[in-house]
Amino acid sequence: MPVIVEEFLATWPLFQHAYLAGWTLAGLLAAIGVLVVARDQIFIGAAVSQASICGIAIALELGDRLGHRGLPWLRHEQVLSALAVLSSGMAALATTRWGKGRRLSHEALTGWIYLFGASAAILVVAHSPHGLEEVHRLLSSSIIGASAVDVALFAALALVTAGTLALTHRRLLLVTIDPPMAAALGLHVPRWSAAISLWLGLAVGLGIRVTGVLFTFGCLVLPPLIARNLCREARPMFLVAPGVAVITALGGFVAAHHWDYPPAQMTVAVLCGLLVASTWWPRSTE
Amino acid sequence: MTGDAPLTAPATGRRLLEAHGLVLAYDGRPVLSGVTFAVHEGEFWFLLGRNGSGKTTLLHAIVGMVPARAGRLWLAPEIASRERLGFVPQHCELRRALPMTVREFVLLGTVNSRSGRRDDAERLEWALAHVGLAGMSRRDYWSLSGGERQRALVARALVRRPSFLALDEPTANLDPGSEHGLVHLLADLNRAERLTLLVVTHDLAMAARHASHLALATEGRLVVGAREEILAPGTLARVFGVEVQVAPCP
Repeated sequence: MPVIVEEFLATWPLFQHAYLAGWTLAGLLAAIGVLVVARDQIFIGAAVSQASICGIAIALELGDRLGHRGLPWLRHEQVLSALAVLSSGMAALATTRWGKGRRLSHEALTGWIYLFGASAAILVVAHSPHGLEEVHRLLSSSIIGASAVDVALFAALALVTAGTLALTHRRLLLVTIDPPMAAALGLHVPRWSAAISLWLGLAVGLGIRVTGVLFTFGCLVLPPLIARNLCREARPMFLVAPGVAVITALGGFVAAHHWDYPPAQMTVAVLCGLLVASTWWPRSTE
Repeated sequence: MTGDAPLTAPATGRRLLEAHGLVLAYDGRPVLSGVTFAVHEGEFWFLLGRNGSGKTTLLHAIVGMVPARAGRLWLAPEIASRERLGFVPQHCELRRALPMTVREFVLLGTVNSRSGRRDDAERLEWALAHVGLAGMSRRDYWSLSGGERQRALVARALVRRPSFLALDEPTANLDPGSEHGLVHLLADLNRAERLTLLVVTHDLAMAARHASHLALATEGRLVVGAREEILAPGTLARVFGVEVQVAPCP
């Protein structure tokens, strides 16, 4: 066995949950990311991630201010997760339901959510050293803490996502890329779009606390973009994108450990390189 | 004149659609009221009118995209369930964000139908053959010409094996050759497959050549009448504001 792998395996007992959570999330986010890429609204991923951080910042501040005033439950991890999911879900829904013909364009709304989330997250915890440190950790995507419960939760989410995609991928594609036709074929487009957004919000909101913004956004959009360059049809992208994400995260974590680099940044950097390389992949047009 | 006006050809087939006193609005603005007409199996309807006269809104109401404000719209069960309903939109708002073959694009038309995987393969072959794209199922959809994409759009509607096909300006933006090919394809489907068609168009010559029934959306009403009456120079001048002479295309 190569030394690089042996070294990595030696850290397994200590970091196994963080590794497993990172790999599972990479695959889960990449699968959902195909629909984000299909909408051609990639920046939504960044905005939703940032909104999620804002939710965590609010939860941290609430815990600091009210946790010792008879509301100790506000300091629980579940509250962080709940507010993260609530914020990302609301952000994803807002970007989905924003109709045409409004004074603020869809892109402008997405940018607004990103900027508001980024500034509000820091402002909310600016006077709390612990909160500020936590927000900075999430912004820099330091993958250090995950529990067995997190791993089980992400695995369950990944399984449900895989099953849903297997059963409904054609409907999801039609709703995403051609909503008028989907409506004509009897699909309730607003309901389907809302479900996709809520699922995106749930995955990002739950994942962000473990993997941070960079890893979450990177795994959401880069593997689907790579898969788009490798595949001739949309359907295989739902397999190729998670495959690319998981394999890259595996290699990225091992390499990061060997050369003593942060694993999230290493994984995202490798994905960026793969995206450039994939543009040279020949795709026959017959 | 609405509803009970004499039609170009008498109804012979089963009734597929019947509107009675339908009132339609778009963005809260009423566009058509008192819409009364019936479509029977095997008929070839053309829906004419100026821009903004409510033609597309009526088509969208028939395919279930726009609710009627008042009145009654009855659809045969297989149409109401969308199982045998085909729809070709004016613009395909497909985003070029994903790779897609002709096969995958056309099979998107099977969404919400009860077809199985084997059925899908047969239907795909049948639909592509009918629109003249046989053997092109593996082609990149984005590499198709405008005319071929329009044919692929029709194939996506046909893949459901519809008994009723609604098309919104299917020849818009096509060159004369592609337009000619598509119109004859629709006429062939109407004759050979007894497919019922409702086409929204500005192409009066095409309507004059192929219509079994005509309807004209004007001044918030739908006028249903005989070909000679709807396409009469006086009627067209009143509706379009210019002198129009219709010479049927060959």
